[in-house]
Amino acid sequence: MNRLIAGGLAAIAMSLLASTANAETLRVALHGQAGIDAFTPTAERIEKELGVTVEIVEYPAPDKDYMTKLLTELAAGNAPDLFSIPGASDVADMVAAGYLAPVGAELAAWPGYKDFVDVAKQLAVSPDGETYVMPYILGIQQIYFRRDVLEKAGISTEQPKSWADLLDRAKEIKAKTGAYGLLFPAGTSWGGGAFAEGFSHLIIGSSTPQIVTDDGKFDLNGKGVLDVFQFYKDLIDNDLMPVDPLLGPEPWVIPKYEMFPKGELAATTCGSWCYIFDWGRESKNPIPDVTTVVGTWADPGQESGEFVLAGLGAPWAVNAKSANLELAKKALLETGSVDNQIETAARIGNIPSSNAVQADPRFQALTELVPIQAAANHGTYLKQATGMSAVSEGVARATEALLRKETDAAGAQAILVDYVKQTLGDEAVK
Amino acid sequence: MAFDAFQKRKERQLLRLLLPALIPLAVLVIYPALYSVYLSMTNEALTGLAAAKPRFVGVGNYLRLFSDARFWNSLFVTFVFVVGSAIIGQFVIGFIAALALKRKIVGSSVFGAAILLPNAAPEVVAGFMWISMLAGGDHATLSKIMIALGLPWADWLQTFPLFMVTMVNTWRGIGTAMILLTAGLSAVPTEVYEAARMDGANPRQMFMRITLPLMAPTIFLYMLISTVSTISVFGLVYALTRGGPGGKTEVISVYIYNQSFTNFQLGYGAAGAVVALVVSLALGIAYVRSLKVEV
Repeated sequence: MNRLIAGGLAAIAMSLLASTANAETLRVALHGQAGIDAFTPTAERIEKELGVTVEIVEYPAPDKDYMTKLLTELAAGNAPDLFSIPGASDVADMVAAGYLAPVGAELAAWPGYKDFVDVAKQLAVSPDGETYVMPYILGIQQIYFRRDVLEKAGISTEQPKSWADLLDRAKEIKAKTGAYGLLFPAGTSWGGGAFAEGFSHLIIGSSTPQIVTDDGKFDLNGKGVLDVFQFYKDLIDNDLMPVDPLLGPEPWVIPKYEMFPKGELAATTCGSWCYIFDWGRESKNPIPDVTTVVGTWADPGQESGEFVLAGLGAPWAVNAKSANLELAKKALLETGSVDNQIETAARIGNIPSSNAVQADPRFQALTELVPIQAAANHGTYLKQATGMSAVSEGVARATEALLRKETDAAGAQAILVDYVKQTLGDEAVK
Repeated sequence: MAFDAFQKRKERQLLRLLLPALIPLAVLVIYPALYSVYLSMTNEALTGLAAAKPRFVGVGNYLRLFSDARFWNSLFVTFVFVVGSAIIGQFVIGFIAALALKRKIVGSSVFGAAILLPNAAPEVVAGFMWISMLAGGDHATLSKIMIALGLPWADWLQTFPLFMVTMVNTWRGIGTAMILLTAGLSAVPTEVYEAARMDGANPRQMFMRITLPLMAPTIFLYMLISTVSTISVFGLVYALTRGGPGGKTEVISVYIYNQSFTNFQLGYGAAGAVVALVVSLALGIAYVRSLKVEV
């Protein structure tokens, strides 16, 4: 009997000790093997420097599923201490929900932050003027095209001067090669990609290049939005864009990972990660000599101009309700280290935000990314506002209706406006 | 007086006996259902301002729901899915299987075991298994069969999405149908058939005038269970198509999930869930009343 009591007391003591140890454990949410592999060395550095245990919790891989799990846990109050946010357009809404801890003071006091390019710092500032995320990498997006396919067919590889020029180029590709001429991600299955990797490329070059007004409302009734949807419609009606795969459950797989490497799709929007993750050395279906075979065009403006789209690449944030808030903030600074930026760039292909990487031989070895990093500061970006997630979903719904040929450009614009009004209230739309 | 006291004591005893079932029912079913009704009248969300400060919107979510073409589409898809898989597919094949098993033909036990096998695989596992059979490309099982037969192949889940999803759910539910209907068949007295045979009834007449009428309560009970459970099928459809392509397989459960956990609008999703609950209840009541089945 005494042994039983002693055993019970020992078990209680051990569980108390375990609880104490848990207080020094940082839980980190990550998804996708490439992301986990990239972060593992940083986790080891955090453990060594802060004397804590880092527990990496693997979340579902598709961005949408990751966000569903993360937001549900944040709402329930049991989310990890530190996490990345795959869709930067979700940041403002997460701030409004009170999920993210402010880290502006910590970043300002951190010596490494002064080396970050201005565009990264500006993108990290939320609509309330505070900074809640570590903008350690950038997604620099342009239009990527199969130079070999175009040259073989005698099609110009020069930078298109306008939307009309881009559309003509796509038609010429279709006519001369039979390949789809141009892909802009669209539809609800692509999640935030329909907005961030599709719509955004066009709206920045339209007659209404910003959709957030100075008072934080959404300007969605303008001509620019209508013209963007008309561009989509022209692509779809002329069979220049592969529509069927975009309506499936994983719409990026067939066009990006199969059709483009085979040359059946000749041009698509993409980010620097395509040179590494989608078609480069980390790809399961790599294109040999990818930087020669695949060229880039800046996004042409509607009438003129060239734009390179810059956005935050999966910024890190700290859970506002973390039991280890101060520790988590210190760990957040480590996620912004040059080491982590380079390790992430090597695995995924995003662009490091710190200019300090230019002096690092490990980054210089990433020859595909070096010139893009140097030009990162010239990137154009969309202003963010609370409710951006609803705009993103509205764009996905509107473009899906276009994909299904259920509406015209004006109808698509009405779908977007109605969805945002219904979700955020009439007053949210100008 | 003594009788009244006895009655009250008996009622208290009954209540005590029911409490172990009533408490979890109240906590896990009734309270969440009532909370969903409340939630459906707010703009509660998983992110944005509404997550921090949800507000009461009355019937706003319902008005929005009834003007949402995707919601009506999901109801239509659910209707086709339920009629196709539960009422036609599972019932017809399950009934044939139950009749075959009753005949004690050679291999009937193996047949019975085989038809129950789909129930052994979890919904999501079954879904992914079927994806490998129905996916696009010439490596998918069904495409290989078509090629072997010299027929054209397709990306089955893209070309015939609702038909394929209905077929997979039929495959999965045949076993349950067969068990329930076998139980119903075994309850039909054999003397009735013997009497009918002596009166010169042929097999068709016996089936139409004896088996079906006497099986009616079982059939309607099965219809009630399978209809309500098919309305709530989620994992299988989500694993197969996530409601796509273009909403062609977005049954009501997937629609509710998409609104609540993909678009993060809990209040609006709850409104959809309440409508689904009302539809299920109405169907249940209609079934029960139509034949006065005692459930």
